[in-house]
Amino acid sequence: MRNVIALAFCFIALAVLAPILAPYDPAAINIPNRLSAPSADWVLGTDALGRDILSRLLYGARWSLGLAFLISFLGLLIGTVIGLLAALGGKWVDWFLMRATDTFLSFPELVAAVVIAGVLGASTASMIFALTVTSWMRYARVARGVGLSLQSEGYVIQARLAGLSPLSIARWHYIPSLLPSLTVVWTGMFARAILGISTLGFLGFGVQPPMPEWGTMLLDARIHMRSTPLQMIWPGLAVVMSVLAINLAGDALRDALSERVQDI
Amino acid sequence: MTRVVFGLFLRACVVLTGAAMATFALLWHAPGDPALAVALARYRTVVPDAVLDHVRAEAGFDAGYWPAFWDWLGPLLRGDFGQSAVTGRDVWPELVTAMSYTAPVALLALGIGMALSVPLALLATKRPGSWLDRFAVAIASLGVAIPAFWLGLLLILLFAVQLGWLPAMGARTTAHMILPAVTLGLGVAASLTRIIRSGILEARGKPFLPAFLRRGVSARGVQRHHIAPHAGVPVVTVFGLELAFLLEGLVTVEVIFSRPGLGGFLVSAISARDFPKVQAVVLVTALIFVTVNLLIDIIYRALDPRIGEQNA
Repeated sequence: MRNVIALAFCFIALAVLAPILAPYDPAAINIPNRLSAPSADWVLGTDALGRDILSRLLYGARWSLGLAFLISFLGLLIGTVIGLLAALGGKWVDWFLMRATDTFLSFPELVAAVVIAGVLGASTASMIFALTVTSWMRYARVARGVGLSLQSEGYVIQARLAGLSPLSIARWHYIPSLLPSLTVVWTGMFARAILGISTLGFLGFGVQPPMPEWGTMLLDARIHMRSTPLQMIWPGLAVVMSVLAINLAGDALRDALSERVQDI
Repeated sequence: MTRVVFGLFLRACVVLTGAAMATFALLWHAPGDPALAVALARYRTVVPDAVLDHVRAEAGFDAGYWPAFWDWLGPLLRGDFGQSAVTGRDVWPELVTAMSYTAPVALLALGIGMALSVPLALLATKRPGSWLDRFAVAIASLGVAIPAFWLGLLLILLFAVQLGWLPAMGARTTAHMILPAVTLGLGVAASLTRIIRSGILEARGKPFLPAFLRRGVSARGVQRHHIAPHAGVPVVTVFGLELAFLLEGLVTVEVIFSRPGLGGFLVSAISARDFPKVQAVVLVTALIFVTVNLLIDIIYRALDPRIGEQNA
């Protein structure tokens, strides 16, 4: 468990420390030196515009991991609010919100994200919107399930009888019991967001060049796949390693919290 | 049970209506003037404002959101998906052609996934914690973390570029299906292995197993008649997830293998801003996805009578 979480933190540290660790400016173009093989000067080689791949990978971690954090956090907020509203808002609010959740689940999330981002126009903003809109449903389901089961708990009934407002009941009783379950869902959605960002970037609907996002880097590298195949390995490996680390951290977290996590 | 099935069916209809409304809302709010897009596609030149107004009135764009929505929904309910905004040809036949390229790859991928995951999970659970079990878990975790398009690119690099055994681009022969199907099949295998493995391990922990063994039922009999059905129920429900995974994977995998299937169709339609095509793919995919999940829900309830009447 420790090792896995340490590994996940390593990736975050690499992203934060990119300006210190990166040997070159990730946007510095150096045409005479384009597509060079790994060497002492350019540890992972250079891309089609002569930019240093290692520096771009390090800065790319900021885009891929940072945006994935933002997206999964926004999804967490939206989903929790919707789930709690459904649990506490009465029969019809519940029916309406759960059918809305089902509607968003009626479509493979990543395909929906591709359509939304593509139709709204390729940009980082539409990508964030597309991936957020398609990522709140699991949180909503978990929050509703926990919320419904808490409603009949003695201490919640007592708090209501004591005249606490619904907001403070949510704040002091619902949120603390929700946190373990939501954290486990969140790790899974964080990993999915990384995959989503790189997929949209690879299709050209996400972060736009020249920004060093991993999926966008793969899109560039694919063109020169035959001459410099190594160039295509690194960004993909970065995606796989970070998703794997976060997934394993999530598994470890679920095992550690298993008594406090309701069925997910 | 009939009441439950009817309830599920009704819910699927509500969800599909919601999906249609969401699709229309997205296309309505898409940046750019839809009338301009239609006019450009039709006349292939810059048109005066009077023509734009005409197109707007003809397509019902100026009538406001809800009248436009009903105008849009009517033909769709009759199964008329309209014409491509770019080529002017009917969307439906092109969509059917695209699906005829996609379906065999998806089915082959599902077959590969089953063929790899079932034996791997069975071998792994023979002795939980053994090196074989750890290997299976590691492979499965790795498989879930690999983006399908990157795995596809690696397979192209190895089998098409380096070894030259298989074709990578296009869809002319059956051999063209192998690499895309393997790409998706490995992903399916990874997630199925995880689920079957944990299903078997959970069924093994049930208290009825020692009771059966004590009564003299053979280990093989217990495995076949008691563990397998228990592990099978979660596998059925997971097919919905596998379908989602396949459809998500197809979008990028068909693009990298240049296959003229549903995924490639969708991406090129989005890039060309050909909205009639986009909405056709979206609605057909939603229909397939909701129908399959409805069937899974019904089968799930039939397999495990305890859940039968709940949550309908």
